Amino acid sequence: MSGPPWDSDAFEARLRAVGAARYHDQHPFHLRMHAGTLSRAELQTWVRNRYYYQTRIPVKDAVILTKADDAAFRREWVQRLHDHDGRAPGEGGLELWLRLADTVGLARDDVASLSGVLSGVRRACDAYVELVDGAELLVAVAASLTELFAGDIMATRIAAFEKHYPWVDGDGLAYFRSRTQQAPRDAAFGLRFVQQHARTRADQQRCVDAVERKCEILWSLLDAVEAAHRRPRRSRHVLLRADAERPDGQLAVLPERAVRLNAASAEILALCDGEQSADEIARTLAARHPDTPQAFADVHEFLGEMARLGVIDLGA
Amino acid sequence: MATPAPQPWNLIAELSYRCPLRCPYCSNPLTWSSIRDGLDAAAWSHVFAQAAALGCVHVGLTGGEPSVRRDLDAIVAAADAAGLYVHLVTAGVPLEPAALPELASLGLRSVQLSIQHAEPTASDAIAGTASFARKLAVARAVRSAGLALTLNVVLHRHNLDRVPALIALARELDADRLELAHVQYEGWALPNRAALLPTRAQVDAAARAVRDAQRHATRPEILLVLPDWFAGRPKPCMGGWARRLLVVAPDGLVLPCHAARDLPDLAFWNVRERDLRACWEDAPGMNAFRGEDWMRDPCRTCPDRARDFGGCRCQAFRWTGDAANPDPACALVPDHDRLVTERDASSADAQLRHRR
Repeated sequence: MSGPPWDSDAFEARLRAVGAARYHDQHPFHLRMHAGTLSRAELQTWVRNRYYYQTRIPVKDAVILTKADDAAFRREWVQRLHDHDGRAPGEGGLELWLRLADTVGLARDDVASLSGVLSGVRRACDAYVELVDGAELLVAVAASLTELFAGDIMATRIAAFEKHYPWVDGDGLAYFRSRTQQAPRDAAFGLRFVQQHARTRADQQRCVDAVERKCEILWSLLDAVEAAHRRPRRSRHVLLRADAERPDGQLAVLPERAVRLNAASAEILALCDGEQSADEIARTLAARHPDTPQAFADVHEFLGEMARLGVIDLGA
Repeated sequence: MATPAPQPWNLIAELSYRCPLRCPYCSNPLTWSSIRDGLDAAAWSHVFAQAAALGCVHVGLTGGEPSVRRDLDAIVAAADAAGLYVHLVTAGVPLEPAALPELASLGLRSVQLSIQHAEPTASDAIAGTASFARKLAVARAVRSAGLALTLNVVLHRHNLDRVPALIALARELDADRLELAHVQYEGWALPNRAALLPTRAQVDAAARAVRDAQRHATRPEILLVLPDWFAGRPKPCMGGWARRLLVVAPDGLVLPCHAARDLPDLAFWNVRERDLRACWEDAPGMNAFRGEDWMRDPCRTCPDRARDFGGCRCQAFRWTGDAANPDPACALVPDHDRLVTERDASSADAQLRHRR
């Protein structure tokens, strides 16, 4: 990028424009959450998987601390670790999230074990930590600036839960309430920091790019959560036929490609009837094959790949 | 023979070189009008069975224009009966939209429809004949018959700026896939290159438009390939010479690519005289550039040779007089400079001449 640096206001406007266009408040899953149309199972999947994101935040902030030479910066930033981890057991944002897990009907130990985290979610969250880890301090801070847009979504979410999901009661919403205070404070600090330290247009552009990348990561997290409850259906354009080279497998032939399926893949595809959700298919297979769980370890990942190749439609 | 013949995946069945369109970048051989439709439906049926036995999974019924064949329905049925996944690659004329349900019932699964531009007048001007309205009718008939629809647009200076409109049209027609393929500067496109070659700015803007469209929208699947004259690296032409694609021309000649007939000193065999396996595995022309033993420097030791297979033999011949030379689309090749000079001499004023 060339040209003179934007002034502070223009730079902030650029950062905010990224949020207006790409922040996950507009993701279909969030739109449905806020309109009150998520099922209890969908809400549970979100809580369980989003917890993995929550666990990555203090790790990410600790990485940022290692990049900072300035004591004043570290004093400010370390507050984020305390916010999420608390100063004692039973405190902090992670604890509040586990209370949310309790109130939506999940076992908190099960959620805390991260055993049911979807690999698409894991990949998105890990990509965030890697982005921060590989970046200079300025860009690492910029990636956190989606907090600029978080205050609004928390307020929307609290109102939506109170109205549409009244069974999420008591302490369940405490995390969201805490973030309505913390996110604007953190965002203001982060914004001032990048405004002061991005001195060239190229620096500023790297910050804008980081916010864009972060928005993509948040978006893909919800894509994975959403996909778990969609009901995949084999594309009507697929021709399944024998594979001359591998007698125990099949070929899924499509316009422009052919996909080789082993016996396990073929069994998964046979369940893609547009009736069962991806989540239900995964449970069916786990129950059917208790002795060979590794063959069906990541049904969701496989279905995502099949959708990308056009073998299945992810469905409604 | 150093390299054993690989298994072909895709049969390109060129049913006829006749076509009502006269696009200035037509990929027919220059001698197309002397090449007759030498295979009847029974002969094609025999070709399909042999291709399936060789390992082919797909068949693309193409041309020219395949729907000029009055026996297209019998050919479709034969291809399906052989177990092949049947595509029709058509310009939409003279194909009747009303014929699609019947073709679907006979085993057609997928239609690739060419359009020349996003606007009727401009599309008809490039095609050299009024055809846009019919193309849209065919597209709708394809979808209502439950078939997969790919829109194919050959890109050049005169339509490249309209990529966003082409994507919008593909969405409106509910296409599964949009193929945006830059002109290959061979055959009829070669004398028109000054008028067809886009500017770098056009190429870059089109790539951006595609990236924007792909964000958050999964349909249609969009395939855009950076043109080799701008990429600085050769295209993996045909996925490698006589490697995955098997072409049978209207006269029965078995080729590794539709343009290979125009290369000198290569002997290809005809499926009317020998069986398809022999034509594929043993014809001297097929083996001339199989594998890597034929490669010269810098391809011979290039780490990319497994990806680009040394590029396009026709382009190498056109620019250097020897089809075994490296493809000058590659920036590592001395002849590349001449190609760049030629590329940058394109002009908005140059006249397009239609195929005769």
